[in-house]
Amino acid sequence: MKDFDIQHIAKLARLKVSQEEAAQFEQEMSGIVEMVEHLPAIDGALEVSVDNAMQLREDEVRPSMEREAILANAPSQEAGCFLVPKIVE
Amino acid sequence: MELFELTASALSEKLRRGECSSVEATQSVLSRIQATEDKVHAYVTLDGEKALAAAEETDRLRAAGESLPPLAGVPIGIKDNICTKGLRTTCSSKMLHNFVPPYNATVMEKIYANHMVVLGKLNMDEFAMGSSCETSYFGPTKNPQNLDYIPGGSSGGSAAAVAAGEAYVTLGSDTGGSIRQPSGCCGVVGLKPTYGAVSRYGLIAFASSLDQIGPLGRSVDDVAMLYDVICGHDERDATSARREYAPVYGNLDASVQGMTIGLPKEYFGEGIEEEVKTAVLAAAEELRRQGAVLKEISLPSTDYALPAYYIISSAEASSNLARYDGIKYGYRAAEFDNLIDLYETTRSEGFGREVKRRIMLGTFVLSSGYYDAYYKKAKLTQQRIAAEFDAAFADCDVILTPAAPSTAFRLGERIGDPLKMYAADLCTVPVNIAGLPAMVQPCGRAKNGLPIGLQLIGAKFSEKTLLGVGKAYETATGAFGVAAVK
Repeated sequence: MKDFDIQHIAKLARLKVSQEEAAQFEQEMSGIVEMVEHLPAIDGALEVSVDNAMQLREDEVRPSMEREAILANAPSQEAGCFLVPKIVE
Repeated sequence: MELFELTASALSEKLRRGECSSVEATQSVLSRIQATEDKVHAYVTLDGEKALAAAEETDRLRAAGESLPPLAGVPIGIKDNICTKGLRTTCSSKMLHNFVPPYNATVMEKIYANHMVVLGKLNMDEFAMGSSCETSYFGPTKNPQNLDYIPGGSSGGSAAAVAAGEAYVTLGSDTGGSIRQPSGCCGVVGLKPTYGAVSRYGLIAFASSLDQIGPLGRSVDDVAMLYDVICGHDERDATSARREYAPVYGNLDASVQGMTIGLPKEYFGEGIEEEVKTAVLAAAEELRRQGAVLKEISLPSTDYALPAYYIISSAEASSNLARYDGIKYGYRAAEFDNLIDLYETTRSEGFGREVKRRIMLGTFVLSSGYYDAYYKKAKLTQQRIAAEFDAAFADCDVILTPAAPSTAFRLGERIGDPLKMYAADLCTVPVNIAGLPAMVQPCGRAKNGLPIGLQLIGAKFSEKTLLGVGKAYETATGAFGVAAVK
């Protein structure tokens, strides 16, 4: 059985977890971790498949989406920018 | 027979001969939706007006004598994690409840270029995480075959809409079985293409190395037609395969004469319901009768696929879902103290339980000190599973297994027990892990009347072979048609 630092994981994941939720997460995650601990010990290195190697396109300037269309989905916007809370005091 | 009950291929033929119009077919499906949607709840967003306008436009082009592709004028439903420009795309999450994409996914560009009629967006498990459609923020979809049962997931809406006659064909996505398991539950045909065969551009990412978009329909031909439309290389998806795709529909060799069909013993053992085993073995017997050779094979690492899947998919999900922060689009918490609090409160309120559980698990397995023990081990297991499949395909043309260990379960039955829920993907997950194509189709019913599905697994890019075998079986035994929805 693993000891989970649920609050630490939540902090890394930018989630808020109440005491009550933490207890349940801990229980569910130990079940899942117990399942995944049955994986075999395999010696070897990770190989990259060569038969379908990733290929990146040329990095060139092309027309993209309209600024207004992008901003239309923003929860808060002003003067063509995303509006966020004050970051630096 | 009402128009909505036709297969897409039959409707395509009727449209071509001028025996009905796309507007008539669209109206027929829309009235079917009106009659059954209260019970089934397959759609998150319906767009009847735009659908009728698109149908009118196709009819106009046809009347003007334009030569149109086979699926022109055929109504289709789209899983709600595929971006549709100007049409709300929610991933069935509160996080994206108001998101209207400013662009189309590549598959949508292809659907529109083929003049298909888009009916709306289909319900799913939140962010495609689930096997029952119950984690949707908008409430569950019901199985049209029996409304007390789950339709499967995560593409539950896509499978249910096809089964209920609320669409001729649909698009789903499959990360660990999300097209195939619901296809089995609802008694429809669903194809998960080879990884890289269909562009993922515009598919809202869950686990990018496993996700793949695919077609669902009421016949093998319908699925083949839609696969022809959506496959192909796309420079906007770096994992898209560079190769030529010859049309499959119309060229299917519906014969299994001389083919070797592998039956992996690990898929017929403990944990698989007797009724399911019996039905799938009877299907194998039918294929043998048609001239195939059956061969018992072994894929020894099958049991490790599910744990490896949960590590890899959760790790990728925790990274992919980091983008939902309440700044650029989607949900933002109403009250917060500062920027970090805005992120945390938004994410805690915007994501449902299952999504949070997977983000937490993914964050844990990638966190400092655990990477080698979990993620690396899972990736090595993935390599071994893929190698075992490769070896099997040296002796077999296709592999036949059940679509899932059981038929559909009751709504609410497994939602409180993640491990039981995850077990529903036992037969489908290894295919994603190995990047292979696989198809599910109905092969009978259990005593309680619910459909049983068989799964055909092929070597990479062998979609045509899979669809051919599926068609040979379907021709002999018949497809299910539209469910009564009672």
